[in-house]
Amino acid sequence: MIDQRREAAIAWALMAPALIVLGVFGIFPIGYAFVVSLHQWRIKCEALIGFKHYARALGDPLSLTIFVVGIAGVGTSMALRRRRGHAAAVGMLGLVTCVVGLVGMIQSGDPRLFNAFKVTLFYAVGTIPSEVGGALLLAYLLFRIMTARGLLRVLYFLPYITPMIATAVVFRTIFSPNPGSIANSVWTYLGFEQQRWLYESQSVAGLLLRGLGVSVHPEWIDALFPSLALTCVIFYNIWVYIGYDTVILLAGLSAIPRQYFESAAIDGASGWQVFRHVALPLLSPSLFFISLVAVIGTFKAFNHIYIMRTAGAQDSVDVVSVLIFDQIYQYHNAGYASALALVLFLAILGLTVLQNRLLGRRVFYGD
Amino acid sequence: MVAIRSLGNCLTYAGLSVAAIVAGFPFVWMILSSFMTRGETVRRVLVPDSLQLSNFITAWSEEDFGLYFANSVIIALLQVSATLLFCLMAAYALARIRFPGREVVFVVILATLMVPETVTMVPNFLIVSWLHEHSPMGWLNNWPALTVPFMASAFSIFLLRQFMRGVPYELWESARIDGAGHLRFLFQIVVPLCRAPLLTVGMFTFIGSWNALGWPLLVTNSPTWRPISVGLQKFVTEAGPEIHLQMAGAVIATIPVLVVYGLIQKEFTEGISMSGLKG
Repeated sequence: MIDQRREAAIAWALMAPALIVLGVFGIFPIGYAFVVSLHQWRIKCEALIGFKHYARALGDPLSLTIFVVGIAGVGTSMALRRRRGHAAAVGMLGLVTCVVGLVGMIQSGDPRLFNAFKVTLFYAVGTIPSEVGGALLLAYLLFRIMTARGLLRVLYFLPYITPMIATAVVFRTIFSPNPGSIANSVWTYLGFEQQRWLYESQSVAGLLLRGLGVSVHPEWIDALFPSLALTCVIFYNIWVYIGYDTVILLAGLSAIPRQYFESAAIDGASGWQVFRHVALPLLSPSLFFISLVAVIGTFKAFNHIYIMRTAGAQDSVDVVSVLIFDQIYQYHNAGYASALALVLFLAILGLTVLQNRLLGRRVFYGD
Repeated sequence: MVAIRSLGNCLTYAGLSVAAIVAGFPFVWMILSSFMTRGETVRRVLVPDSLQLSNFITAWSEEDFGLYFANSVIIALLQVSATLLFCLMAAYALARIRFPGREVVFVVILATLMVPETVTMVPNFLIVSWLHEHSPMGWLNNWPALTVPFMASAFSIFLLRQFMRGVPYELWESARIDGAGHLRFLFQIVVPLCRAPLLTVGMFTFIGSWNALGWPLLVTNSPTWRPISVGLQKFVTEAGPEIHLQMAGAVIATIPVLVVYGLIQKEFTEGISMSGLKG
């Protein structure tokens, strides 16, 4: 009855503008970036050099191969876990192989890239759990109160809505090393020593030990903790996104049928039990959604870090995106930048798959 | 029992208030500092003696801030209107019309969500430079380079499609019996129903355009078309320690977004809440 071909033609016509924009500026560039990454490419295309940029970035091919084999091992073991008993052994072996390969890569690859990945990892680990956990707490508290809920929700949401370029500038002055800065005023009022905040490239652990009077500490401690500058950026990031997460979780909580809470209360469940066994499982889709958004977001983060970075922090806040942008904008090294960007893309893809496997399984969708 | 209850309530309100103070303090401080004299920002007072409105005039006239502001407004308007139209049409086709290959198109669109901006930056710069030379209109240092690449977004299409799938099919059937085609159904019936998600998508696009920093730095080398984000970044990293002027600049950059948010706050919160509900 309906003319199928005419329907399809209308659909394609309606999608055409969006598909052209996404195709030309979103999908085609991925392939183009790969082509660029195989060339020595500064302002113009200079010479085809194959995978040299990748070798420079990731280190010697042997270590890379070992690393990939290790990842494949871990992947297989995860796929097999349900069926075979040997899966755990394969997984452990894969993990060890993977670490061996990674050590080789770090020793022979671009130290700036591995530093940037380390910074990105600190950034993600420092941000995501506190952001999601804090939002969960706030949403649950908001859910329990009757008055002022709307007002508080708007207030928590403000940091997310306000342009990051403006709030990053505000945080830059709050966490400036100036003795009169807000951060230093509060810190000295609490009886601590003045700090250099966003200009401090030393690790928080090192600073803490020095504050406790330990003047010499082994170097590996510094390598395991983020710099104070990065910690300020992490704090900023939590401040911005916690409101967004809270709004989503609050909506999730409000969507839970009231009877569930009521019958739990009649059965004599304590507040904690209601939270743990009723609210949390029913919230898991929302939690999964915001943690997915948060992971992708931290790996793509750029604008606010670019504004908050200082000379004093050295490379301790330079996440991978910042490193890549420097390669493009400052060094005009388009070929190398594209190789780095594709490595980042692969890392994001891998993480998303991993997250889906590890967390996706635990999400409870009701029925 | 009652005592425990009220203690719990007290703790709840206490926790929420602390969070509110942490969330709000930077704003209060930004606004207060933007009215201070330079001396007051150095002497770390909290409240200015008199309101220095001249800070805003100085910030506005310094470094072409007014021009940057106007640029950002034009860029945002272009980008928001085009994104709304394009994504609305695409989302409608994906949600309401059955055609072969629909699922594939949708998955490909969603896949672009994971691509970091840094991957597309270099190729897009090359594409835009090519267009600059081969089209009658200049792209670099001009509005097309700043807006056209962002006129469609996977997230917007996704959000609108999610919502449109909830529009009852009977509506479409009765519209068709009344002789309406897809276009008329879309603009006369679906659009009014999709107020909240459309405003949400518009707001997200507006914020994204207003915040953009890396790409504008790359495609503008003169102030003619620079947006306010670039202006503010240069103002902060190049100018001296003039905190009161920096904060005035930050307030100026914040006002338009807050005004728009104030107007559509209810719909925006509703639209955002929906995005996280369908796991």
